[in-house]
Amino acid sequence: MTDADQAREEVSEFQKRIGALREEIGRVIVGQRDVIDGVLSCVLGSSHALLEGVPGLGKTMLVRTLAGVLGLEFSRIQFTPDLMPADIIGTVVLDEGTTGARSLEFRRGPIFANIVLADEVNRATPKTQSALLEAMQEHRVTVGRTTHVIKEPYFVLATQNPLEMEGTYPLPEAQLDRFFFKLEVPFPTRDELHAIIDRTTTDKHVEVRCVLTREQILEMQALVRRVPVARHVQDYAIRVLQATHPTAEEAPDLVKRFVRTGASPRGAQAMLLGAKVRALFDGRFAASVEDVKATALAALRHRVLLSFEGEAEGVASDRVIADIIKKLPASKE
Amino acid sequence: MLLLPIPLGYAVVALTTVKVLSLSATGQRPLWLVGLVPLSIFVAGVARALFRRRPAWRASLALDEFHGFQDRVTTALAFSDIPEAERTPLMQAAIEDGVALSNRLDPGRAVPIRVPRESALVLLLGLGLFGLSRLEVRHYRQLPLPSAFEPMVMSADDIELFRDVAKELQAKNDDPNALVAVRRFNQLVEDIAEHRLDRHEVFQRMGDLERDLKDNLDLDQDARDEGLKGLARELEKSGLTKPAASALDEKRLSDAEKALRELAEKLKNKESKPNAAELEKLRKALEKAATSNEERLRNIEERRRDLEEEHKSLLKKKGEQPDAGASADPKLADNERRLEHLDREKSSAERSQKQMSELDKQLAQAAKDLMHDAGQSAQDLQQGAQDINRMAKQEASEEQKKELLRKLQEMRELMRQQGKGGKDQMQRLQKFGQRARGQRGSGEGQGDEPGGQNGGKKEGPLRLGNPGGPSVEIPMPQSARGESQAAAGDKPGGGTEPGAGQRAGTGHDPNLSGAATDLKGKSVDVTAAGADTGQGTASSQVIYGAAERGFVGHGYKQVFTDYQTVAEQTLSQDEIPSGYRFYVRRYFQLIRPRD
Repeated sequence: MTDADQAREEVSEFQKRIGALREEIGRVIVGQRDVIDGVLSCVLGSSHALLEGVPGLGKTMLVRTLAGVLGLEFSRIQFTPDLMPADIIGTVVLDEGTTGARSLEFRRGPIFANIVLADEVNRATPKTQSALLEAMQEHRVTVGRTTHVIKEPYFVLATQNPLEMEGTYPLPEAQLDRFFFKLEVPFPTRDELHAIIDRTTTDKHVEVRCVLTREQILEMQALVRRVPVARHVQDYAIRVLQATHPTAEEAPDLVKRFVRTGASPRGAQAMLLGAKVRALFDGRFAASVEDVKATALAALRHRVLLSFEGEAEGVASDRVIADIIKKLPASKE
Repeated sequence: MLLLPIPLGYAVVALTTVKVLSLSATGQRPLWLVGLVPLSIFVAGVARALFRRRPAWRASLALDEFHGFQDRVTTALAFSDIPEAERTPLMQAAIEDGVALSNRLDPGRAVPIRVPRESALVLLLGLGLFGLSRLEVRHYRQLPLPSAFEPMVMSADDIELFRDVAKELQAKNDDPNALVAVRRFNQLVEDIAEHRLDRHEVFQRMGDLERDLKDNLDLDQDARDEGLKGLARELEKSGLTKPAASALDEKRLSDAEKALRELAEKLKNKESKPNAAELEKLRKALEKAATSNEERLRNIEERRRDLEEEHKSLLKKKGEQPDAGASADPKLADNERRLEHLDREKSSAERSQKQMSELDKQLAQAAKDLMHDAGQSAQDLQQGAQDINRMAKQEASEEQKKELLRKLQEMRELMRQQGKGGKDQMQRLQKFGQRARGQRGSGEGQGDEPGGQNGGKKEGPLRLGNPGGPSVEIPMPQSARGESQAAAGDKPGGGTEPGAGQRAGTGHDPNLSGAATDLKGKSVDVTAAGADTGQGTASSQVIYGAAERGFVGHGYKQVFTDYQTVAEQTLSQDEIPSGYRFYVRRYFQLIRPRD
């Protein structure tokens, strides 16, 4: 067997696992294919996702189900204004052993799970948010003089409600940038609603089973990183990223008019990693321009900051990014 | 294609402009120059399209897009550019995946060659251009009327003169070539008389005729004369051939022929047959004569050879002693000159020998036959006479041709003079003609009294030349009286009552003021010495009579010929300006005897 054959096999195996994963999640979650794929992309891209949607759309259920099928340790943190960093990171307590000896012991907080659901993350104070975001970025937590490493795989799925903005602390741009994708959870269709009601209003209780082990997830994450990207695809991702900046040569008029600041290089990284995952989802061996286009919205929407005029006009960042994708040719002279 | 309508559109506009305005080549030049701009734009556009950098993987991307291959072909191509060692297994798999897809590609459908949107416009413009090029825009322009035919006009008197010339030449001539030339000349005169030719045509036909005549003219006449003289010198040595010799020497070829024939008769006739001594003398003379030309040529060649040797030695001497070169130079130059002269002489002798070869042959044969058969020799002499006759005819024909050439030149000069100075010159010539014929003129030189009954015949001397310029006065026969009287006064004449007096007037024109005309040009009297035979009336009487009664009469013809001969001799010998020559000849044309 050649290396290529082996690679083909790996990709094939990846596809099978994803198929199984989707199927298992699909037993609980109705529809939301894009959101599920987006979340899986974040998981396999070793990063974090920000889910935004009105209450009751199954965000928490999705994350819980995901944790279940992945067989990973899961914790949920409900962010409230009085939530303190120690509440999520953990704290040092005086512990009295069986012998009666007392010692200071670090009690890990919920952030030390493999999958952390930061529910309504924008309700906590920035101080608490920062504590979370540090762990997200560094995959480690420093308490006192001790640094505690978080076990891999590690990903945080944060949710936020776009409606109730009063009494919330919107995440600063720098912190938003740490999220790989921002996924918007759409309202279910009628058929999906039928299915949801059918599943949730009966005495049937669906228990998800674990379809992937931790090691398998790490393998899949490694495979994602190995997926090659052709120069023209990478060039396209970079051009898309550049086009989000109002001063860029290829920036469309909408960007020039309504965008204050474009996406950071993390945006291109997110697009390409997402593209790689998407290619593997399809059983392809390399990411394509189409993959970049497909991931651009999720990867860039929280990274493009609209100007005052843009906000006043009610221009959504999604519209700006869609405009870029539409107008930017796949190749350039 | 996008740019093609620009030059095409311009071409349509330019062609329309050219057609509508009927621009000349010069007028079209700015349009051509401006046309370079759209053409350059088009060429630049094409060049840019050819040489611009195209997007990478444009074609494969189009294929991927059309087939929905998610860049698999393009990616495969991109990875195949990476060295194999650097490729990852996934890259290799991607390449193989792309290769596997390649047989499903359909470039024809993926990237169809689309007809550009501008095609319709280009087609339309092209058709328009073609249509315009076929379109004939007619402009009605007033063409300038063809210049009116202005026939060459020659006075009736001149026409008559040249007709007479033609008639005379035709009568004299029996050479077919010369006759053809005379007929052409005659036709030319008739065409001028009928006003059928304009000035240009007349000169053209005269030129053609002159050229043909010159082409046919035997230019070796001098050589032949020289040969005949040599012959004469030898024949003179025998008493029997002396008459022929003197005739040949004087170029009386018919007499020479006659003399030879007579000699032949004498030889044939036994009674008058010369004695042996005479015959021996004749034989020797004939023999010598036959070889005279050859002898002459031989002499020339010998002299030339000697001169050449001398020349060589002089050249050698000059080469050896450069200092002596100065003294040798004049000798060398003289030597060269003599060599050149001998060359010319030799050439002439050769031509002469060639022309006389037949006669020489006959004379040599006659000399040979004379030794044993006088009759046969006589026959040879007869043939020699025939040859002389041939030469005589040829010479006569040449003379006629030369005469015709002279007449043509006279005619051309007359026409040239008429057309040279416009109306003024015409008037001057007219006046000249009137006065030459003794008719009344309005010029100066009249007597004190107005002209009498004889009108213009009592005018002053004929003055040749332009007014104010140098002039020649030719005393007219009847001007003697007037001139003497006019000379007495110091003012030009001018009668108060024209045509009423019996004698030349003595007063002066009251309208004139100032001093008498003082010609700066010196008058030269032309004296015509008529041959005085001492018989009949004196020349002056004849001329006087001709002036009184017109230029008719036998006596006047004789006097005219005498005067004309002298005038022609003077004209040929003296250096006289060509303008004056014309007037002299014209004068004699005008006063020629009439029938």
